[in-house]
Amino acid sequence: MSDEFLNVLRRDPPAAFARRLRSRLHALDAPAATERRAPARAYRWLATAASVAALAFAFTLPAVRSAAEAFLDYFRVVNFAGVAFDPQRVEQLWSNASVDLPTLISGHVAISTPPTPPIAYASLDEAGAAAQMQVRAPTWLPPGFKLTSVEVIAAHELRVTGDTAKLQEVLTALGIDDLAVPAGLDGQVVTVSIPPIARILYDNGAKQIALVQSRGPVVSFPAGVDLASFAEIGLRLLGLGRAEAYDLAQSVDWRSTLLVPVPLTAATFHRVEVQNGDGLAIDAAAGENGGSGESMVLWSGGDSVYALRGPIRAADLLLMAQSVQ
Amino acid sequence: MALETELPASFASQAAAAAPDWDAVYAEQLPRVYNFFRYRLRDDALAEDLTATTFEKAWRARERYRHDLAGFATWLLAIARNVAVDHMRARREHAPLEAAEDASAPGTPEEDNARASDAERLRALLARLRERDRELIALKYGSGATNRAIAKLTGLSESNVGTIVHRVVQTLRRDW
Repeated sequence: MSDEFLNVLRRDPPAAFARRLRSRLHALDAPAATERRAPARAYRWLATAASVAALAFAFTLPAVRSAAEAFLDYFRVVNFAGVAFDPQRVEQLWSNASVDLPTLISGHVAISTPPTPPIAYASLDEAGAAAQMQVRAPTWLPPGFKLTSVEVIAAHELRVTGDTAKLQEVLTALGIDDLAVPAGLDGQVVTVSIPPIARILYDNGAKQIALVQSRGPVVSFPAGVDLASFAEIGLRLLGLGRAEAYDLAQSVDWRSTLLVPVPLTAATFHRVEVQNGDGLAIDAAAGENGGSGESMVLWSGGDSVYALRGPIRAADLLLMAQSVQ
Repeated sequence: MALETELPASFASQAAAAAPDWDAVYAEQLPRVYNFFRYRLRDDALAEDLTATTFEKAWRARERYRHDLAGFATWLLAIARNVAVDHMRARREHAPLEAAEDASAPGTPEEDNARASDAERLRALLARLRERDRELIALKYGSGATNRAIAKLTGLSESNVGTIVHRVVQTLRRDW
């Protein structure tokens, strides 16, 4: 009895699906907990990248989401790296100090070109024309999600003026008395020029996922600025210990790596490969003691940086990221 | 395409090795699991989703099989069966969903049309089968499992599997 006809339904899995699933499986292999327990290993990777950590404390959660968009706004990023920190320790550090951080910052940050409210566009092409970049989108979405809006935030620029005394004042107020703010900062200006940012939103009626993309912002530093020293200060403000902050600060190329602080109790993180480049996956849902539920995948490609975030598993965000084109 | 005899090209060579090449295992097993779901369900997107779920479950626990690689394929199909059952149960509890849709395989437009047409015909015939019969056909022709492997998975005797499959194939052949 011939049963050949029963084979007509067989076919190879779509190559794109096979690729995505393979990436997803490999993403399962690198639990953040492992990296947290083996900082030396993480540092080796961090040493291959470069970044800005001076504003690291701005990422204290629960706003992992706003963190992603914040560094897309303010830093030039080639690589992403995660560093775990203890929010309780940070809270304790800051609650014991009589430091009004917003006031301190506001006196030294000038927004020369203010950001405009997001403007919605009818298509990716129109958004791309407005943003003066190719707006890329995922070809794969988690079941039930649909594109709901595309918007662009116009280019803007801000300037940060250094003040050694103020920064030293912050450190003293926090009880960090073993660090000295590098000299030569006073009056120096760091200019941050932020290209237009495109944001694509997807919705399934209950949850929302956002893909944020932009060309890398241009950050101009005064010549001779010791980025590692300022990074060390930023890491101490995050609650890292003296030795740990020093080791990490010295091992990272701070000119191209963005260090993303991830709260120990709200998320886990691990390195991922996104379209043949390095990226960072933050799985908030997998964190201990609950968490914000917002996961994130960050990566760079060409001259652009991308952040995908949403209240779903980082593995699914990674699948989306792999399909962006 | 016998599951236990030809399955482990990489399994066999690695059975005694300390660290299997899981990427090779993945490449071998993916089509079997994917096609199991294609025969079991009528929705290609759903087949992908459930295949992914199956592999995620297996991947997390794969270290258990370092010393029992020969049983890995059967174990993987057992997970796939459970995933399918969970899905069917949830579908019954919520809403009917399957969309009869098939993406055609690469080929000339005429070949594609013919193939898609045959695939749709077969899917329609499979949809009329009892759940148990459809699962046996999915295991046999979708995943390529042997009657012996199917017997292990389903708890039926090997001869019983052969008898049922033979009868179902006759019925399908008659209606084809």
